[in-house]
Amino acid sequence: MSRDIVIGAGLAGLCAALRLAQAGRPVTLVAKGAGGLGLSQGTIDILGYAPDRVFAPLDAVRAVASDHPYSGIGPDAVAASAAWLRDELGPELLVGDPGVNLHLPTALGSIRPTCLAQPSMVEGAVVGGRRYVVVGVRQLKDFSPELVAGNLARTPAPDGGAIEAHPAWIDLPARPGEADASGLTYARALDDVAFADAFAAAVAAVAGECDVVLLPAVLGLRRLGVWRQVSARVGRPVAEVPLQPPSVPGIRLYEALLGRLRAAGVRHVQGSLVTGFQAKDGRLRSVTVAAAGGPRELAAAHVVYAPGGFESGALAVDSYGTIAERLFGLPLTASSSPDLVGPDFWAPHRLFQVGVRTDAAGRPVDGEAAVYANLYAAGGLIAGAERWREKSGDGIAVATAVRAADAIIGGAA
Amino acid sequence: MSKDEAKRLRERLNNELNRATLDHCVKCTICEQSCPVSAVTPLFSGPKFVGPQAERFRDGESVDHSVDYCSSCGTCSVVCPQGVKVAELNSLARAVMKAEHGIPVRDRLITQTTLMGRAMTPLAPVANAVLGNSAARRVMELAVGVAASAPMPTAHGQTLRGWLKKRPAPTKAPTRGPVIFFHGCAGAFFETEAAKAAIEVLEHLGFEVIVPEQGCCGLAEQSNGLFAQASDAVLKLVGQLRAPGTAAPVVSVAGSCGGMLKHEAHEILGLDDPDLADVGRRTRDISEFLMELYDAGELPTDFAPIPLRVPYHQPCQVRSQGMGMPAADLLRLIPELEVVESNAVCCGIAGTYGLKKEKYEIAQAVGKPLFDLVLELNEGLAACDTETCRWQIAKSTGVKTVHPIQLVHQAYGLGRLPGLG
Repeated sequence: MSRDIVIGAGLAGLCAALRLAQAGRPVTLVAKGAGGLGLSQGTIDILGYAPDRVFAPLDAVRAVASDHPYSGIGPDAVAASAAWLRDELGPELLVGDPGVNLHLPTALGSIRPTCLAQPSMVEGAVVGGRRYVVVGVRQLKDFSPELVAGNLARTPAPDGGAIEAHPAWIDLPARPGEADASGLTYARALDDVAFADAFAAAVAAVAGECDVVLLPAVLGLRRLGVWRQVSARVGRPVAEVPLQPPSVPGIRLYEALLGRLRAAGVRHVQGSLVTGFQAKDGRLRSVTVAAAGGPRELAAAHVVYAPGGFESGALAVDSYGTIAERLFGLPLTASSSPDLVGPDFWAPHRLFQVGVRTDAAGRPVDGEAAVYANLYAAGGLIAGAERWREKSGDGIAVATAVRAADAIIGGAA
Repeated sequence: MSKDEAKRLRERLNNELNRATLDHCVKCTICEQSCPVSAVTPLFSGPKFVGPQAERFRDGESVDHSVDYCSSCGTCSVVCPQGVKVAELNSLARAVMKAEHGIPVRDRLITQTTLMGRAMTPLAPVANAVLGNSAARRVMELAVGVAASAPMPTAHGQTLRGWLKKRPAPTKAPTRGPVIFFHGCAGAFFETEAAKAAIEVLEHLGFEVIVPEQGCCGLAEQSNGLFAQASDAVLKLVGQLRAPGTAAPVVSVAGSCGGMLKHEAHEILGLDDPDLADVGRRTRDISEFLMELYDAGELPTDFAPIPLRVPYHQPCQVRSQGMGMPAADLLRLIPELEVVESNAVCCGIAGTYGLKKEKYEIAQAVGKPLFDLVLELNEGLAACDTETCRWQIAKSTGVKTVHPIQLVHQAYGLGRLPGLG
């Protein structure tokens, strides 16, 4: 029996697999690793810079260049796909309006535009005239309240107003003897109600005069709503500020989506690279998975290819500067890298816009024609956006995953 | 442990191609997110720290000794998106450390699974009484370091081989080809019910089931750093499994041991043996085998309903075989059987890890979310593919834990699990 095969367990792969399974299709998700969602901020960016700060992302989506991944999709479909994901995950995990950007503080004290966020984060929105206290934990690494508060205080809010921010510290080890714990260790400790109470009491004691208390994003991994417990004790809104990986909010989204996939009957093959494929008459017949012991052929009705881009190795540059797509050898928007990387590190690099072009259904094309009638691309593989600069990677992933799944469900191929 | 062995292992660690994968590590922390051991104890500093972070900078020195607290569940390699052989290298680094610093007698004893089975079977009531006696277990803990509360296998008066000899010959002539049945040590001595159920299901489906004489796969020795002994054991087993022929599939009812044949003996012991590769290519977990039949439209699904909610746990060493979760998919074909996946990384026992007195508490903490789930949701039964994991779940929850094939066996009308209507 042929199944729909989704390759990749990042946001795009998870969304495509979920959407297909919910339509009653048999789906197998194959991924080499655990996907990148657990490394993310745990928010959904749609479009943050174009190139100036974006306040209304759908308006900016409407205005993208014709070779941008959003251009064939349009603001309505982008909004609908983001809203679908938000509603799938529910208001304990994701809230917001696809038409409005939030401006949330980062762990460096800069201000990051994003669209959908976790309810534990939204009170952190940087608004002129507000007073913030940033609370660090002595035994938690990589979160310095002086750095966060200092940078916030010297940065005008997106609305033009001035903000006030002060640092404070608490001293509360998550595990005895560990002076340099990761956010994950704290999140696991805060899943315990008693430890969360002690944490909340310590924060309340140092919060001082302020409107909002900013905390590192460690407020519980499996127990959602720890932030409410802390907020109630502190007597003020609190907001999580995402840390560098391991990212607790990102892991929350990954685990929630994976749970929904399995409940929808998706087969999940973990830790295995797809190494080859069989095709006939312009259609993929199967993909080859490097399972333990030997290769397995998985018969494919359709394939949604969501392997990411350069960061995952799906796209690679060899020592001659040749750019190639690893698995299907798909045609790319450029095949030679040397001219695409500029001398200025901070300037745009066209290399990172390289990827596959697709037709209106999301199928990689060679010229105008689909390479395979039943192969769809989603997420970071698609050409035309430097995602981290624009803050557009999540929105592109979700919108292109939904496009691919809906084309399959609708019988496009 | 000879000096030569230590030197040989050190050379492997320093020179193996796998070592180059350490440089693929981008420090993303995905392995740290998923490690079940560092999540519950500061005694293990985590797969990334001891592996790609520390190991690649060492030159002739043994790794951070906390690598001894790695349970070898293999999860770090499964989740790594960059293909770093974290678990394989950390297992090898631990073997080097043990070879250079000595292996406790306890670790040599608990790996002798076949010997234990042979010795205990004729003495089953006595052996069970001793292992069930808390004073005797406390003496064992003090003398050799096997935790007094850790799960121990139950001996049976009859081995699988004894059953095979005494049972009436199958009445149905085979309608499909032969399969070579791999039952593992537990299937031979301690967990014979799962092995019998698997044989009867395969025969019911029309296969000719060949059960060659077979020894231990060496997995327990491997995870205790006894690589030379493990290599001897697995190569001997490979010869035994090849004896009946080199065409038929090898179907395994021993979840983790199947993984030893498929990849661990090659990846961790470093065995580059064509016969091992041949057996690994032909080896299928029993659920994987049946789901391949199902996908090919060749599995009858005339299952009788089993109105039951059953928590199912996929062991870490079954997950790492890259075949998805075939047991859960298979059980879902049984009408009215509600399968609840544990979503737990590991039950804690990790072969022999949780038997050791200094690791027992860690193993229990690793397994706690699983035990809580089983306790909350079970209706008298849990399911799991690997023997020691079943003992761990049963011992820690008091809930009878069976191999998934035993539910399939009942659903085909071939028998009834005790206590199920």
